[in-house]
Amino acid sequence: MATASATSVFPLRRGATAAWRHVDLALLFSSVAIAGMGVLMVFSATESKLREQGFDPHMYLKRQSVWVVLGLAVMVVMFSVDYRVLRDIAPFIFAGAFFLLVLVLSPIGSSTRGAQAWFQFGSFQLEPSEWAKLALIICVSAYCATHRGDLDGRRLLTVIGLAAVPMALIYLQPDLGTDLVFGAILIGVLVVAGARPRHIAAICLVAIVGMLAVVQLGVLKQYQVDRLTAFANPTNDPQHSAYNLAQAKAAIGSGGLFGKGLFKGTQTNLSFVPEQQTDFIFTVVGEELGFVGAFTLLALFAVVVWRTWRTATLARDLFGTLLCVGILAMFVFQIFENVGMTMGIMPITGIPLPFMSYGGSSTVANFAAVGLVLNVHMRRFA
Amino acid sequence: MALESPRLRLGIVAIVVVSLFAALLARLWYLQVLAAPQYRVQANTNRVRTIYTEAPRGRILDRQGRILVDNRVTDAVVVSREEMGSRSAEVIPRLAQVLNMQASDVQNRLSDKRYSPFKPIPVATDVPKETIIFIREHQSDFPGVSGVQLTERYYPYGSLGAQMLGWVGEINGTELAANKKKGYKEGDSIGKSGIEKVYEDDLRGQPQIERLEVDSKGRVLGSLGTTPAVQGHDVQLTVDLDIQKLAEESLQQGLQAARGSYDKSQAKHFIAPAGSVVVEDPRDGSILAMASNPTYDPSIFVNGIKPELFAQLNDPGSNYPLNERAIQGQYAPGSTFKLATSLAALGDGMIDTKYTVDDGGSIKIGNQKFRNAGGEANGRVNVVRALTVSSDVFFYTLGNQFWVQRSQYGDAIQNEARQLGLGKKTGIALPFEASGRIPDPDSRKKLHDQNPKAYPNGQWYAGDNVNLAIGQGEMTVTPLQLVNAYATFANGGTVWTPRVGDSIKDQTGVQLRPVAPQSVRKLDIPPQVYDPIMQGLLGVTQDPRGTAAGAFAGFPFSSFPVAGKTGTAQAGNKQDTSLFVGFGPTTDPQYVVGVVMEEAGFGASAAAPVARRILESLAGKPTRPVSYAPGGSPD
Repeated sequence: MATASATSVFPLRRGATAAWRHVDLALLFSSVAIAGMGVLMVFSATESKLREQGFDPHMYLKRQSVWVVLGLAVMVVMFSVDYRVLRDIAPFIFAGAFFLLVLVLSPIGSSTRGAQAWFQFGSFQLEPSEWAKLALIICVSAYCATHRGDLDGRRLLTVIGLAAVPMALIYLQPDLGTDLVFGAILIGVLVVAGARPRHIAAICLVAIVGMLAVVQLGVLKQYQVDRLTAFANPTNDPQHSAYNLAQAKAAIGSGGLFGKGLFKGTQTNLSFVPEQQTDFIFTVVGEELGFVGAFTLLALFAVVVWRTWRTATLARDLFGTLLCVGILAMFVFQIFENVGMTMGIMPITGIPLPFMSYGGSSTVANFAAVGLVLNVHMRRFA
Repeated sequence: MALESPRLRLGIVAIVVVSLFAALLARLWYLQVLAAPQYRVQANTNRVRTIYTEAPRGRILDRQGRILVDNRVTDAVVVSREEMGSRSAEVIPRLAQVLNMQASDVQNRLSDKRYSPFKPIPVATDVPKETIIFIREHQSDFPGVSGVQLTERYYPYGSLGAQMLGWVGEINGTELAANKKKGYKEGDSIGKSGIEKVYEDDLRGQPQIERLEVDSKGRVLGSLGTTPAVQGHDVQLTVDLDIQKLAEESLQQGLQAARGSYDKSQAKHFIAPAGSVVVEDPRDGSILAMASNPTYDPSIFVNGIKPELFAQLNDPGSNYPLNERAIQGQYAPGSTFKLATSLAALGDGMIDTKYTVDDGGSIKIGNQKFRNAGGEANGRVNVVRALTVSSDVFFYTLGNQFWVQRSQYGDAIQNEARQLGLGKKTGIALPFEASGRIPDPDSRKKLHDQNPKAYPNGQWYAGDNVNLAIGQGEMTVTPLQLVNAYATFANGGTVWTPRVGDSIKDQTGVQLRPVAPQSVRKLDIPPQVYDPIMQGLLGVTQDPRGTAAGAFAGFPFSSFPVAGKTGTAQAGNKQDTSLFVGFGPTTDPQYVVGVVMEEAGFGASAAAPVARRILESLAGKPTRPVSYAPGGSPD
């Protein structure tokens, strides 16, 4: 009971009511600010297209707003219950995620653009892989926290095996981008959980070799390879990936220092950038709000990441720390990959930008993740 | 250690995260600040399409302002191959049905490589309004099909002056390369021949430039502004519509008449496949008419000529109707050249009117016998008489004399010919002018030295001079050169650059730029030279023994005296080339008329009647149909 002395020093900060007073407002506000900016950008990206096609131009605006509100609700739920409960039910969470990932591959799941990744409920979609990320973070953190200081080779392999199951299922969808996020989460948690440096090095090596093998050995479909390598060979472009990338860069670059103004992006309004409300949402920020807007967005992301990192350092137990690290790894990888992709320094993969990209599952799951971090933060003394 | 270790490792995580954010910021800075101008340009070219629509060309007017080449607006159906795309197999038959055309014709139009890929292809013109409305109302059945108003060239007088006026076609690679600076683009129209080509810069206007905003699919969202088209300037010609008509009609009649006549020497009818007429004002070199036969209807070039028609126009069997024979045809001048020989002999003082030759029908020079073309004997003749009756023997003698006395006179005949502008381009503002050729000892030697095989004979003999004196041998001239030479004589010695453009005007008729007459040189033709030649040429039409007396029988000489010269040129194995050049009224020459007809017989028989009809009309008299003047003499 290493925590016993701490509780006696700060007797007033015990109990549920006390925990509410330790909500990390910086994290809360910055994530809500990003989501608000996201709603606006989604609106700007879709308004002219919807109007042109005869739909309600506010359709995406309304829907994304609903997701944000729903996300906030889920966030509240996620920090209301002590996060340590999750540690106890981790096996069930894992089983639940496994079940949904299998189910989505069955005929019950729906496929869009070649990936069998959704459940369709009326006009709404549920994407289990977004939730599987959280499930992985919880389960891996729980396992590593249980075996703290004792992550030998066998246990390491167990963790990797644990992660490999959902990764394999997601690969079958196929959704390579989400698999990469899983990899980032896994490595992030293992580094902080105390895996030996040579083990980490070995995992990284295997991951790199594995990725190369996947690209080289024809395991991937050709269009996936082309997409991944388009940023390196813009001339080989059967899927117009390089064209898309060029348009994305033109959108961001043409924004300049102050941008063209909200709703005034020509690249945006004239549909030159593909998937703009989802994967390429950053180009709207870049074009319409310029360097100032894009910098502000990255700064807000930095605040989210910083507060998450800080919570990891403050957490009262290793499980809390690892939860935060996993979430941090998820956010950082997605931000870097998504923003880097639109600017041509990372391969093109279908990874959403947290809180910004249009989509219910990712928005709600991200708020759930923030809820977990807030949870760890406000229970750091109890 | 257990507690310290996560802290340390969280530090590593922090460093990694900060590096990644730094990388993103650096890249963002590069894209949005350092490289922003370049991307701004890229984003702009993305969304803006510039559409050029050619301006209507300027019109071509005759000297009285009557429109020879006009524009008209026609309702046309055009097809964008790109927009029709993969549905063409289904759309083309449907379109053909609506347009009352064969599907194959529509298909041929669309697959015609001569159309620019950048512009919609006109499939049909003069389409009824209802058809265009029908297509518009059923647009989804006709992707890429639209009705537009096209401005196209219109020729109110059909084939009149076709070769001289020229035609307009789509710019080709060579022309594009040469005219890039003037803003031509692929698919643009450009004058290909005649006036259309020479005055291209004036006739072509400034295109309408419309900047359109388009989306990523190329759909037009709106206009960003239009610079309106400026129509090209009008070109007024020196040519007179009535005289041009008269010349073409008369030439056509003359050729017809020749074809109906029998050529005794070749024992068949004359073929008379082609000919040309030039009418020039000797006072300033203005061309009043320039006719070339066979001819063609330039409207077949509008909106792109059909390939089979173009092939037919260039088929040797069609006798090259696109050629402007007045400046591209090169003929031996025959006896019409005796003007030059006479000017040389009188001008150099080698002879005067007292110098006579006894024309017994032939003459022996060296060991060669030269005959009069018709074999008749003319008795003792001086230069006046020799011109009137076209005594070859007299001019053979002069040719020989010049050769014998070449140390004194040099190449006097050739020099005189060149002074008159024969054997080189006149410089008229029309394309593809031929130069003709005046041979002399030096040029023959040069040709031989350069290419002994093609020119086995490098030596010049007395016989060459003898032939030269009557316009035979290797000498060739164009009909325009010949007419211009007679114009020089008629006006007393001024060599003009023949002029076909008179001025450039705007649409309201205000003159922007005159095309001034240009004199090349002034020859000195003193009365002792001029008078006997004029007398001889007057005799050609008026003297009972004049070579053209038959053709000009009954001509109103009293009010409109006419002088002239017939010519009958041998052309290898072909039938004789028939030539006549005349001018009038000789009291104050206003018109020089030259007629050259291929394989049509004696100048007196075929060409002179054509010239007579033209001159008679110019004299203000009613005209009669041209008839072949039978009998006559070769000159």
